[in-house]
Amino acid sequence: MLFKDQLDFVTQHIKKNKLRVFMTVLAATMGCAFLIVLASVGFGLQDSIRNEILSDENITKIQVFGNDQFTEEQIHEIKSIEHVKTVLETITVNASGHSFFEDRDTLSDVYVANMQDFEQVNGKLAKGKYPTKPNEIVVGYHFAQTLINDAERKIIEEKSKKAEAEGTFYNGSEEGYKDSLIGKEIELSLMPHTDNAEEGEKIKYTVVGVMKKPSYDWMVNKSIYMDTEQKPMLTTNLATTGNVKEDDMFHSEFNIFADSVENVKPILDKLKDDGYNVYSVTEQLDQMNVFFLVLKIGLIFVGTIAVLIASIGIFNTMTMAVTERTREIGVLKAIGASPKIIQRLFLMESTFIGIIGTLIAVVISYIISFVANAALPVILEAATGEEAFSKNNITFSLIPWQLVIIAAAISISVAMISGYRPARKATKIDVIQALRQEL
Amino acid sequence: MIQVENLQHTFLIGKKGKEKQVPVLKGVNFEVKKGEIVAIVGKSGSGKSTLLQILAGFMKSEQGSIKVNGKEAANFTEVESAAFRLQHFGFIFQNFQLMPGLTASENIELPLKLQGIKKAMRAEKVKILMDKVGLAEVADHYPNELSGGQQQRVSIARALITNPPILLADEPTGSLDSETEQDILLLIQSLNREFGLTFVIITHDEEVATIAHRHFRMCDGELVKEEA
Repeated sequence: MLFKDQLDFVTQHIKKNKLRVFMTVLAATMGCAFLIVLASVGFGLQDSIRNEILSDENITKIQVFGNDQFTEEQIHEIKSIEHVKTVLETITVNASGHSFFEDRDTLSDVYVANMQDFEQVNGKLAKGKYPTKPNEIVVGYHFAQTLINDAERKIIEEKSKKAEAEGTFYNGSEEGYKDSLIGKEIELSLMPHTDNAEEGEKIKYTVVGVMKKPSYDWMVNKSIYMDTEQKPMLTTNLATTGNVKEDDMFHSEFNIFADSVENVKPILDKLKDDGYNVYSVTEQLDQMNVFFLVLKIGLIFVGTIAVLIASIGIFNTMTMAVTERTREIGVLKAIGASPKIIQRLFLMESTFIGIIGTLIAVVISYIISFVANAALPVILEAATGEEAFSKNNITFSLIPWQLVIIAAAISISVAMISGYRPARKATKIDVIQALRQEL
Repeated sequence: MIQVENLQHTFLIGKKGKEKQVPVLKGVNFEVKKGEIVAIVGKSGSGKSTLLQILAGFMKSEQGSIKVNGKEAANFTEVESAAFRLQHFGFIFQNFQLMPGLTASENIELPLKLQGIKKAMRAEKVKILMDKVGLAEVADHYPNELSGGQQQRVSIARALITNPPILLADEPTGSLDSETEQDILLLIQSLNREFGLTFVIITHDEEVATIAHRHFRMCDGELVKEEA
């Protein structure tokens, strides 16, 4: 029997029992949609957390633990590893930088780094350029905002008190220097963190660049960055503050940067093999993936129970179909239909129910997922008053193609298995008994 | 064409564990030659229908041999038996056994579908045959829109569509009035004459037996009499 004729035979019978088949397809749809939507919560949450980790600007950074300073040779060796973008030595000055501009001032951390490596890691600035001349600096995105005078200090204090009374927090974003600092000259004096140290002499610097806005809203970057060539000048300046040993003036930190997130893991493994004590935030991803894999398997398992319940409907429908068509099956067998063909015709019918149910379920699941992602943040925000739900862009439900494949495989297999027994029953029908049945 | 030798069969009747053995075929022997119409006449319960069912492969005999065109058919498996039926036999049933959801032409083409014949070729064969058996006008009618005689013609056309060498008919006129019965018997005779088809007809009706070249009488599981 040609495949097309088999299909015709099946569709003809489905058309004859539209309502019953529709109800069975509906049950299969509900089971499969439940499976997809349930598992999509696991996929969605994993995606949200993954994005949160990946949005970290230091995602390609490999931190090096320990106080050991890298030798030039080691840096060269690490730089030669494939996909290593650079090895950045960041020197933290063990002092607060007290900056003065007009009648304004602010306190910030001061970092010294090779500006070429620094540029490679940080990319484009929000404004200006990286330092190329002596006494040029780059400042953090919020540096200008934190440059305040006494009058503004008082206003901030008042606003903060008011906000505190209302149970909120004021971050001072409405005050500070509003114009561009690019090309402006500031004076910087260093205040060592050690006891009994005095504030150093003021050094003049020109602001030539402003760093990008930090990736998180809550992060404030008011630091000062300068080239390693400035280090001797800073050393001299710090020496004048007294009571500061040369060894305590600076603290070095080495970070290795990969060219992309995907290449972090191989570099990390290589460095670990070479005996370096290194860590990357992507290691959290691995641990998280294991956790979510277990969660998703659990959700799919629970969803499969719904599919199994729906399969009872398919089993009933197919058993009814075989019983109703006993005489027709008898005639088919009498005129020469092989048991294999008869079994296949009924299996095709149950598979058809499974496929249609799955297709509708996939469409419905995508709609539910879309609506859930759009509506849930609004509902949760309204219910809890927490703005984080809408601000953080949380994915409540995500349906990747892999989930569709898994759900379809489960639903269609279960539908076929449900139809197997009735199909076998059809092949066992006795021709003589069947032909004796009344029309 | 068909040689049946020492065919024996017993039914077990009654509750499980207390079954009673009822012999229905007690060593049946007969032969059907090519192009013959053979009638097996007998009363209800004489075993004639059981003989036809064993002959068709719907059930297996306990003992004996059935040779069709020299091939032993008594020991076929279910699958072999189905394939053999599709190639060698056409069936005409008392109550027509048409598919209610299919039109007359679709019922007729059903065996061709089972043989895997393509649609265009099927349509051509069905059209020719429907013209021949006088059903051209009712090709798109469903069985419940046809008279008894027309339904039996559809049943005969379905039996003929694969050009089987042998047609097995079980009370072919049992559900028809006497006028239609005559039409059907004439059709069988003409098919036999025109195409040399072999017919084995099981009937309780002596009138039907008159069209046969030979007829056997079945009585209590034995073919007791062969009449000229």
